[in-house]
Amino acid sequence: MKWDIFCSVVDNYGDIGVCWRLARQLAAEYGFEVRLMCDDLQVFARICPGLDATAACQRAGGVEIRRWDGELHVAPAQVVLESFGCRLPEVYVEAMGRASAAPLWINFEYLSAENWVERCHGLPSRHGHLPLVTWFFYPGFTAATGGLLREAHLLRERDAFLADREVQVQYWRSLGLAPAARNLSLFCYGGAPLDAWLAELAAAPQPLRLIVPEGVANAELARWGLAVQAGSSVQHGGLSLVRIGLQDQPGYDRLLWACDMNVVRGEDSFLRALWAGRPFCWHIYPQQDGAHAAKLEAFLGRYLGEAGEGLARAAAVAFMRAWNGLDGAPDIAAAWRALQAQPAECAQFAAARAQHFAGGTDAAAGLVKFVREKLQ
Amino acid sequence: MKLAQELRVGNVIKFNNDAYVILRTEYNRGGRNAATVRLKLKNLLIGNNTEQVYKADEKIDVIVLERKEVSYSYFADPMYVFMDAEYAQYEVEKENMGDALNFLEDGLACEVVFYDGRAISVELPSSVVREIVYTEPAVRGDTSGKVLKPAKINTGFEVQVPAFCEIGDKIEIDTASGEYRNRVKG
Repeated sequence: MKWDIFCSVVDNYGDIGVCWRLARQLAAEYGFEVRLMCDDLQVFARICPGLDATAACQRAGGVEIRRWDGELHVAPAQVVLESFGCRLPEVYVEAMGRASAAPLWINFEYLSAENWVERCHGLPSRHGHLPLVTWFFYPGFTAATGGLLREAHLLRERDAFLADREVQVQYWRSLGLAPAARNLSLFCYGGAPLDAWLAELAAAPQPLRLIVPEGVANAELARWGLAVQAGSSVQHGGLSLVRIGLQDQPGYDRLLWACDMNVVRGEDSFLRALWAGRPFCWHIYPQQDGAHAAKLEAFLGRYLGEAGEGLARAAAVAFMRAWNGLDGAPDIAAAWRALQAQPAECAQFAAARAQHFAGGTDAAAGLVKFVREKLQ
Repeated sequence: MKLAQELRVGNVIKFNNDAYVILRTEYNRGGRNAATVRLKLKNLLIGNNTEQVYKADEKIDVIVLERKEVSYSYFADPMYVFMDAEYAQYEVEKENMGDALNFLEDGLACEVVFYDGRAISVELPSSVVREIVYTEPAVRGDTSGKVLKPAKINTGFEVQVPAFCEIGDKIEIDTASGEYRNRVKG
C-alpha cells in the first residue's frame, strides 16, 4: 500500500518530528511504501542528520522524502495523510478528485487528552466541490481515540538500555561526558521559569547535571554563563550545566532514558518522555487565550489516573502547573522542593504510568486499522 | 460562503448537491492555535442525521434561504410553532430544532428558515439572556471569573459559569457555543 504524508513545518520540530516518526514506523512495521512531503528540509535535517536539505527527492529510514515547495505534481497515493490540517496542494487535491478510485484522505490531528477528541475522532469532512472526504484521525489517551504513537520495539529497547550499566556508560561517553550521579535534561520553550529553577538546582545539597541540547533556552542560559555551542559547560554550586548537540530521534530517546528527570516540550518529545517512564515535566506549546491550560489540565487528569492524588503524584502535577505558569500553581521553587522530597515515589509513579498507557493502542496501529476498515 | 467557525444552528449548508441543516455546532481548539468545528447535520433530501468535522477556517457553502422574523409560540408535539407579526403560524419539527431547544422560551424572537417552501429550521439571535435556576452557592473571594461551575437555566440546559454567579442571576449566553458571556445587571 502506498502512502503520502504531508508535513508543513509551522515552527520548531514538533510537526516534522511526529510525521517522521510515523512515516518510518509505517514503512518499517507494516512494509508500506511511504512518501513524506516536507516543506522545510532545513528543519527536518536538524533531527535527521544526513538529510540533504537541497534535494528534491531522497530516501532515509526506509521512507522517500520529497521537498514540498509549490504545487508538487505527483500522482496521489492510495492513502493520503494530511498532518495537522496543513492543507494539501490544490493540484494534488484536484488529482485526487480525478482518480478512478478516490484516495483515502486522512487528517492526522494534534494529540490532546481533552474529552472532545473522542467525539471528533473518525468523523468525516466533505470537500466543497470534489467527490472527496477527509477523515479526521485524533491520537489520544483513550480507547475511543486513535491511540498514542509508540514503535513496537520501543519499550524493549528502553528496558535493555536501562538494564545494562555498560551500555549507559558508553552512551554518556558518546556525548563526550562521564557518567554522573544525577542527570536532568532540558528541552523547553522560551518563557520557562528557568532562573528560579536553576537557582534551586544550584543550591541543592547533591550535585546534579543539567543537559541542554543546542538551540534550547539560549538567552536564558547565557545569563548563567552557558554558551550556545555543543560541548560547552559551566558550574554553579552543585549544578553542572552542559550543552550537547541537537539529538536525532533515537538519540533523544536514549537521553530521556538515561536522565533521572526530563523537561520536554511540544507533542513528540512529550510523548517520548512519557514512554521513557521517567519523571518528566511537559512544557506545553503556549496558545492564544491560554487554550493550552485546558489541554495541560486534561492531560494531568489522565496522567494522575483513577487512583487520585498521592504525595508524589501531587508533586509531579504541581511542578508541571508551576512550570507552565497556570493560575493557582505554586511557585517553581516550592514545586521543585516538593518534587525532590520523594524521588523514589516520583520515579515509581512515572514508570507505572508509562506502563499503563503502553497498554493502549499504538497510534500507527490504530491508523492502519482505520485505513483498512475504510478501504474495505 | 461562511467559515466553519461562523456556522450556526439552523444554517443550511451544501456539499455537492446535498443540503444539510445544522442541528449542533461544537468548536474545539486543537494544537498550535488550530481549531475544528464538529457539526451535527440533517440531510434535507433523505432526512438522515450525520456528524462531520471541519477545520474552523474551512469555507463552507451556505445556502441563502427565505426566512421570516417570528416569535416562539407553543409546542404541539412533535412540532414547534412560531408566529410572525401577521399572526401566520409556522411549524418546525422537533428533530430539526437541534440545540435551539436549549434556549427556547415563550415569545423568543428568532427567524424561521424555509427550504422548498417548508419551514425547516430556526435561527436564534447570537446571544440570549437567561436566568440561572440552579447552581451551587457562590464561592466567596473568587471574583476572577476563571474558576467555573455548572449552572442550569429554565430549559434544563447547563452552562459553565464563573464561581461568583448565583441562583436568580441573569446571564448572557452565546447561542452558537452555549458558553457564558457575562452577568447581566438589573
